[in-house]
Amino acid sequence: MSELTTMERVGLYGGAVFLLLGTVGMGLLEMALGAPHPVSGEGQIVHETLFSLSIRSYTILLGLILLAAYGVSNLATKPPQDPSI
Amino acid sequence: MVTNIQTQLLGRDISFPVEESRFAYWLVVMRLIVGWWFLHAGLDKFLAWPFDAGWFVGGAAAQTSLGPVVTLFADGILLSFTNIMVPLGQTLIGLGLIVGALTRLAAFFGAFLMTFFYFINGETGGWAHGVITGDLLGLLIFAMIATLGAGRVLGVDAYLAKTAFVRDHPRLRYFIG
Repeated sequence: MSELTTMERVGLYGGAVFLLLGTVGMGLLEMALGAPHPVSGEGQIVHETLFSLSIRSYTILLGLILLAAYGVSNLATKPPQDPSI
Repeated sequence: MVTNIQTQLLGRDISFPVEESRFAYWLVVMRLIVGWWFLHAGLDKFLAWPFDAGWFVGGAAAQTSLGPVVTLFADGILLSFTNIMVPLGQTLIGLGLIVGALTRLAAFFGAFLMTFFYFINGETGGWAHGVITGDLLGLLIFAMIATLGAGRVLGVDAYLAKTAFVRDHPRLRYFIG
């Protein structure tokens, strides 16, 4: 992990930050100040939330896309450093 | 036997010991359970053929964040493609994980499928108890299997990795476990 390039840091750390922000970060704030659940049991979008459903979804999605981009770019740009793993 | 994992995270040394036998044990257990999850889901659809994903990609997905992309597959030839690829993909992903063949490739496509299930199921009611659902945990387990290359433990990938073809083409290591 010490030899990450800038782009790899963006993918790995950025992906984790957005993933955690959309799940844990916004979840804590919603629990304290908004509505704990973004949708009701009937699938209705809850509108009294601090963060709209789409903002939360896109934040989590961005995290997943960054992590996927890291994996795909690794495949595209360089062979494994150690062929035994 | 204990191995010391030597690594850094955020510029700090975070080396830690791992019990090897338990590590290998969990890799296999995780692979088999997640593999059966997907193999069952795929075979179940084939056994109840025809499978129609229209209600999901056209109905449920329409108002979700992934709607603009997913609804493109809601009719015509793209729906026919989806109706075949979902059960076929699930079956192959499940088989790949259970026998440990092309494990990383299988896990990547497993995570890819779970992304659609997570957001569409979640935004249509699955997030009624919060955004951490079984779909997200499944997605993360696929990512973990791919990261750790779980197919090397009691899996076909342990054999594939030793073949001359893979040794001559090291990028294939990204597809096998």
